[in-house]
Amino acid sequence: MSEEYVIQMKEITKVYPNGVIANQGVNLDVKRGEIHALMGENGAGKSTLMKMLFGLEQPTTGQILVNGEEVNLTSPTVAISHGIGMVHQHFMLVPNLTVAENIVLGMTPTKSGIFMDYEKAVSLTEEYSKKFNLIVDANAKVKDIPVGMKQKVEILKALVRGAKILILDEPTAVLTTQETVELFKELKNLKNQGYTLIFISHKLNEIMEITDRMTILRGGKSQGVYNTKDVTPQEISRLMVGRDVILKVEKDKAKPTDEVLRVRDVEFVNDWGKKMLDKVSFSVRKGEILGIAGVEGNGQKELVDILFGFNTANAGTVEVNGVNIKGLNQKQLRDLNISLVPEDRMIYGIAGAASIEENVISDRCEKPEYNKGPIFNMNAIHETSDQLIKDYTVLCKSRDQKVGMLSGGNIQKVVVAREFSNNPKLIIADQPTRGIDVGATEFIRKKLVELSRSGIAVLLVSADLNEVMELSDSLIVMHGGQIAAYFEDTSKLTDEEMGRYMLGIDKQSPEQIKEVCHE
Amino acid sequence: MNKKRSTMFSVAKGALAIFVSLLVAAVLVFVSAAGDTVADKLAETGIALKSMLVSPLFKADGSFNFKGLCDVLALMIPIMFTGVGTCIMFSANQFNLGSEGGIMLGAFVTACVAVYAPIKGVLLPIVAILAGGIATAIVLYIPATLKAHFGVSEMVNSLMLNSIIQYTIMFLLNMYLADTTKGQVQMLPIQENAALPQIINNGSKFHVGFIIAIVVVALAWIFMYRTKWGYSIRMIGINQDFSKYSGLNVVKIIILAQVLGGFIAGIGGGAEMLGRYTAYNWKTLPGYGWTGVTVAILAGNNPLFVPFAAFFISYLNKGCTLMATYTSIPSQLIDIIQAVLFILFAADKFLSRYKQKLVVKSAEEEAAIKRQTELEFRGGEK
Amino acid sequence: MLQLIISEDFFFSMIRITAPILLATLAAIVCEKGGISNIGLEGTMMLAALFGSLASYYAHSWVVGLLVAILAGVVVSALMCFFIYNLQTNMILAGTAVNMIGSGGTIFLVKVITGLTEGTQMTSTTGLITQDLLMPTIDIPLIKDIPFIGPVLSGHCFLTYLTFILVFVTWVILYKTPLGLNIRSVGENPNAASSVGVSVLKVKYYTFIIGGVFCGLAGAFMSIYYAMGWSQGMLAGRGFIALAAQAMGIEPVGGLFASLIFGFAQALRIKFSAVGIDSNICSTIPYIITIIGLVVFAIRRIQNEKKKRSAEALNNK
Repeated sequence: MSEEYVIQMKEITKVYPNGVIANQGVNLDVKRGEIHALMGENGAGKSTLMKMLFGLEQPTTGQILVNGEEVNLTSPTVAISHGIGMVHQHFMLVPNLTVAENIVLGMTPTKSGIFMDYEKAVSLTEEYSKKFNLIVDANAKVKDIPVGMKQKVEILKALVRGAKILILDEPTAVLTTQETVELFKELKNLKNQGYTLIFISHKLNEIMEITDRMTILRGGKSQGVYNTKDVTPQEISRLMVGRDVILKVEKDKAKPTDEVLRVRDVEFVNDWGKKMLDKVSFSVRKGEILGIAGVEGNGQKELVDILFGFNTANAGTVEVNGVNIKGLNQKQLRDLNISLVPEDRMIYGIAGAASIEENVISDRCEKPEYNKGPIFNMNAIHETSDQLIKDYTVLCKSRDQKVGMLSGGNIQKVVVAREFSNNPKLIIADQPTRGIDVGATEFIRKKLVELSRSGIAVLLVSADLNEVMELSDSLIVMHGGQIAAYFEDTSKLTDEEMGRYMLGIDKQSPEQIKEVCHE
Repeated sequence: MNKKRSTMFSVAKGALAIFVSLLVAAVLVFVSAAGDTVADKLAETGIALKSMLVSPLFKADGSFNFKGLCDVLALMIPIMFTGVGTCIMFSANQFNLGSEGGIMLGAFVTACVAVYAPIKGVLLPIVAILAGGIATAIVLYIPATLKAHFGVSEMVNSLMLNSIIQYTIMFLLNMYLADTTKGQVQMLPIQENAALPQIINNGSKFHVGFIIAIVVVALAWIFMYRTKWGYSIRMIGINQDFSKYSGLNVVKIIILAQVLGGFIAGIGGGAEMLGRYTAYNWKTLPGYGWTGVTVAILAGNNPLFVPFAAFFISYLNKGCTLMATYTSIPSQLIDIIQAVLFILFAADKFLSRYKQKLVVKSAEEEAAIKRQTELEFRGGEK
Repeated sequence: MLQLIISEDFFFSMIRITAPILLATLAAIVCEKGGISNIGLEGTMMLAALFGSLASYYAHSWVVGLLVAILAGVVVSALMCFFIYNLQTNMILAGTAVNMIGSGGTIFLVKVITGLTEGTQMTSTTGLITQDLLMPTIDIPLIKDIPFIGPVLSGHCFLTYLTFILVFVTWVILYKTPLGLNIRSVGENPNAASSVGVSVLKVKYYTFIIGGVFCGLAGAFMSIYYAMGWSQGMLAGRGFIALAAQAMGIEPVGGLFASLIFGFAQALRIKFSAVGIDSNICSTIPYIITIIGLVVFAIRRIQNEKKKRSAEALNNK
């Protein structure tokens, strides 16, 4: 038992009630006063591990030691009392409260026991602000301050509560370059004052710059602990990005024909003023699957939102079969035979309290073949839903069963059954197999290949490397809102190569990337 | 959870809610019963509960009370209309409470047409009632469009409109339309051919409006469960994001639900007007809209269950009236019973522990089936 | 016409009418800050008014009446909170249930308690509340002698003055106390609040209880002063108008001005009826103003958001 470790997580295994194994025998040792990186792809189990350290989840087996003592972290409050603080990726701040109010929330200083001692809150904020050189405007409302400052407020919130160990969950994801530089200065400053930092990130250059040691996770298992100065970016990328289980999908070579989706120079700036898409251009043709790979948060979500009318591009054009889709609503887009398998199936994909049948006809309820005059043609509707349930092997008692009562894999089968069966010319599949069982995953992947070979254009957006490399005929990699690479043929592609582009170590020349436009 | 099991759960929850509300009623009756000793009070409570629960359909000698049944059925008429209208609006997650003013407006406009329009024969009541429905639909378009386009609370606006409707009708009635030969404020009598015939002419006012209501219930059910519009209304009520993503016209449907709900409340007012009265004389909001809300909640927003819920409420209503005549207990006990029923039906967590068990059981069964099929699948592969 | 409006008694009655609306509006504001759309204000006030008037009559003291009214408001509000947050009842439906009891159940209660049975329509406690049971009015020294201003501002019920003080008190509660900080944070981002150990449920109860106190005061104002007793329909939708005033005012001071608009509209109604314009058509004025006000503020809010977004987009370029 050495004194130098402030955190020791031993043989941590976490199995969620739905059977998903998020962590399997993971060890994490963090030394006092270091910046320790926790790295891994999406779904590698980083968040779960940190949630357990912050008391939001409890491990199924394994023990957690803080300063050499075993602790039972049952809630964030307990974690804070052990000196562990967390800066969430999505800020836990109240926008209409001032910075000082946010910082003292839940531990408000009072005057004569009744009134809030706002001056004390401000002076406390300023004291800590000065001490750690985290400059914030104590009197400004949180909604009015820039993102970088919001993050400092989050850090201060943890420090004021006595945290000695700070977990930072992808702190740079929302920051601009200058803000990131500033944050790193502050983090180094904290380190110099004896604080311990756990830093979660995908961004290699940042990790190389700021951390002392790193633990790499892959598929819920630890890939070991390394001194940052002893490993090269290439090695990290190899450890981080890689496929364990490969679900092979048989497919013959694509014979792409006419262009269906044409995206040219699309730019998008989000509500906080961060440029999320920067001159993105590509084309998808009939009969091919174009994959979009990349670590999440590199503009994929924004791109899909624009393609399906939930957002408008600030610049550039999107055409589907020659029709500019700017300003079209979802109904008009569906009339152009565009289908979307949405990333968040519970919000967009289904109406949980409605039956399977009602869910599979939502996009076609107005079509003549399902209506006899003003009345539904129930026979046609029953026939279609029964057929879809059969074709997509949805495991259910009947078409009248409520979709919300099905398992995740079956819910997703209901979604794809609808989206794949309405004569699509373009299918956008956004994370089509996330979080579902192997059987359903395999089924949906096969279906995608089958559809593309029947002459449908498929755009596959996936953070699952295995999926995107296995399914795509050709593939683009997104990094920082730009296309970092285009591979015409995915069959010869290695994980290592992919990793380099995904993590921003390499970037292809504009000419090479331009080939995805097929001009 | 499968359909049968969740239906069973709904029934159990409903039965318990009814039991609890009647229990509350019994306690209130006991507390407010006349008498100095507990025995006296108990006796009075017994009489009160008997008159409330039994008397509507059975005479004192135990024989069946046909007139009582007619009374109950007649009471159902207006609240079936407001109940169905509310079902449609609530199904789209639109908490429009305008059926209260809507039924008054429908009755008023229908009465105007029935008094003044020079239309012959059976056409008059039809035109009059439709006019009532259309007028209400137009008025409820206001909160509907304000909600759909500007996000203004349809609930507050519909409540404001209820009051505006009430006072405007009173204004028109007082200033221009009053029958000056009568002692109380009322309109001129409607033309004879406008009156809806009675189904059974025994003074119960059990009129043809009942049949119209049943037809409306059936049509509303077909509309909600067998047409694309009703389907869209229900999907929007369940998940608006999903509906938008699926390509449904959310704005149009939100407006449609409220306008249609208004139309049904309006024709309800018209039918009640021509069936029960010879001249329009409502001076305040009739309260049928609020009862309609209770009916809709009891019916789980399904028009098909509205007649049953309406019968239940009307039965209790009649029972409470009888109770008030036989004992010293006021008939407004019905309002408290209604509110208790209403809130228990609306409470998700009421009986939730039991529901949780059912869900877990269902999930376990589902898992078992899955394992079974997987085994078979593998077996087949071998 | 103008002369009629710009008169001492017009402004006096406007202030008098504003007070209960303002109290209900303050309740709505506190609830809305805590993330609660309290639809049940009308019913809560009805029950408070009834119990307040009865207590005042039986105890022969308006003080007891006032306290009982507050207690009734608090109990009803806490029950609503229980149904909404412990039993997961839809907020709007829970409020509707309270309003049902407020409009119909109250008649049952008043009949049972007082034994008044003759004529359902006429049932009320107006016969019970005699002049000596009413809450007292106060003449403000010095001010009462100022011409015009004196008769307008002086001679109101003490609760009227208290109401206007409560605007300030509400602001203090919301912005100067730890409770207010918790209420605002729970209303805006309950996750943030619970992540630092604030009990969301507890704060919701406090919020409802504060709203209940205000409703209690409003109910007492109506039945032990303004209307001299409880009667059905006495509130005439003031609880709903308060919701509209909240939507326009947002903050306590804004709520004050919004309530004054409604007070003005009501006073106008009374004045108009007095000069022979039909009282019914005048009665619609406050409700029409409510709808117009809600729409105007909704459009303004949408425009502000648009402006803000485009401004931000510009700044970030």
